[in-house]
Amino acid sequence: MGRVFAALWLVFALAVTAQAEPLVIRIGYPGVGADNRPFASGDIVAVAHAAHYIEDEFAHDPDIKIEWTFFRGAGPALNESLAAGHLDFAAGLGDLPSIVGRANGLQTRFLLSDKIRDTIYLAVRPNSGISKIEDLAGHRLSEFKGTNLQLAADRVLSAHGLSERNAKFINLDTGSALAALNGGSIDGTFGSIELLGLRDRGIVSIPYDTRAEAAKFGRHSAIFVTTAFEQAHRDIVQRVVNAFVRAARFGADEANRKAVFALWAKSGYPQIAFEEDFNNERLANRLTPLIDPYLRGRYADLAVRVREYGQIRKDVDVPSWFAPQYLETALKAQGLEHFWPVFDAEGHKIADGDVERTKVAGQ
Amino acid sequence: MSRTAGANTAVVVPAMLLVLWSVCSAKGWLPDQLLPAPSAVWQQLLENARSGDLWSNTLISLQRVGEGFALGAVAGLILGACVGLSRTLREMFDPLFLFVAQVPTLGWIPLLILAVGIDESMKVIVIAWASFVPVVLNVAQGMRDVPAGLRELGQVLTFDPWFTLTRIVLPAAVPQIFTGLREGLANAWQTMVAAELFASSEGLGYLISLGRQLFQLDLVLAMVLVLGAVGLAVNGGMALIERRLLRWQGSVRGQAA
Repeated sequence: MGRVFAALWLVFALAVTAQAEPLVIRIGYPGVGADNRPFASGDIVAVAHAAHYIEDEFAHDPDIKIEWTFFRGAGPALNESLAAGHLDFAAGLGDLPSIVGRANGLQTRFLLSDKIRDTIYLAVRPNSGISKIEDLAGHRLSEFKGTNLQLAADRVLSAHGLSERNAKFINLDTGSALAALNGGSIDGTFGSIELLGLRDRGIVSIPYDTRAEAAKFGRHSAIFVTTAFEQAHRDIVQRVVNAFVRAARFGADEANRKAVFALWAKSGYPQIAFEEDFNNERLANRLTPLIDPYLRGRYADLAVRVREYGQIRKDVDVPSWFAPQYLETALKAQGLEHFWPVFDAEGHKIADGDVERTKVAGQ
Repeated sequence: MSRTAGANTAVVVPAMLLVLWSVCSAKGWLPDQLLPAPSAVWQQLLENARSGDLWSNTLISLQRVGEGFALGAVAGLILGACVGLSRTLREMFDPLFLFVAQVPTLGWIPLLILAVGIDESMKVIVIAWASFVPVVLNVAQGMRDVPAGLRELGQVLTFDPWFTLTRIVLPAAVPQIFTGLREGLANAWQTMVAAELFASSEGLGYLISLGRQLFQLDLVLAMVLVLGAVGLAVNGGMALIERRLLRWQGSVRGQAA
């Protein structure tokens, strides 16, 4: 009996060691929550991370570990980490840093969209005398350079006949910008929902945001894999994409509105901020994984603008960046081919999506 | 002959580093994004020079260092002289000053921002503080360490205090004072970069932080080269002034002896 047992052990041990090629999937996210909490918010990745979609996908693969890194330095810091070979996936990387990374030779594939039409807010000190974009000229402002906030802000400025050179723009990360606004050392900043809390405390007012013009000025982020990882582990890439698509399916469904905001609130930003940010707007308007003509058109246009603004010095080939086959496989496998609406390059809807019929729970 | 030989020797190590750098990037030992080729850095330098960005930002940085260093050095000379000359003042200030001097300059930045904001004044004060500390310490030390024999000589010749100060103490302390000034200037230059990295919209340090945010390591390296070159030039100018003053000091000492 003891012998049989020992033999069984041996077989088991051999089987494990034969299989045991431990693999760590290293995912980077360009941001942190309030007070540096290691949580994302406002996008598909935040749903996937907070509700463990990736970990669940690999729950039965003891040799596969998932490792998340949240970068306070946002996209620029994530790019450095990618360049150093410390990451396999860039999840939620913004449009500007991803284009900058590609222009500088980072080898990645564009797997799926994470968020489109994201808002930027302009927050100003109440006594600054700024009530519209044109008033910004000559003021001391901050922006988080190298992130998709900078590109969106640049586009807003140029639509109002200004550029960064018309004001004094200092580079501050999200947390430092809040402190600087609080202390009154800057007149205003471009940022996202973290500014709503400061407004509620009466420290800033928000004279401008892009929600009404999201198709024109909205920010984008997406999910990328390094070319090296993709070539070595196509099956794993497919499974990671499957998990993100499942998270996207959950996150875009109006029936989950409250649950999604609750997941995002793990970042430390209150649910009411997300409710306000998404007021009168369907979640699916931003949370779509699709690589449709609209998304392709946006990135092609952004790449040109980034070059015009002098933020890159080489042209970026956008079409060859996309690797939509993983997304298409995942959508088909989950029966979601017609779940999200499809838009053309100008932002006009060309196909309805099932998600538009989902309703807020309890209504 | 020996001078040119010295210059040639001084070129050897930088030249070797340049070759190593070229080979490194040509062979792709480090990814391009982390170590751009020397040619890319040179290109970046030329572009910045042509667009005028290089000059305007260098001038702004120099101006900040100039203002901060002037402020810190003058204040340091005065306090250093007082502390060096008066035993009472020394006993009053020494422990506190040594304590405060242990805090790295950058450690004061958060407090300063609360007090004066992040405008020019913050940068100038930080730079002034960085140069103030070594000046005070060295000036006080220099004045205290005047050889006892020289002081006794003054007493024998019944010099009044003012004469003792200008003819004995100051000349004897000049080398040490200059050590403090040189150290202070080097500190000022380094602190300028740190202050500009932190929160600014112009200056060499700003260009470095911009280069980092936009993933342009060639811009970062180009500005590092400029910083080194300008720093070297400023330091060289200081050494020149010092040599002139020391010659004067030598002749005074000759007279006194």
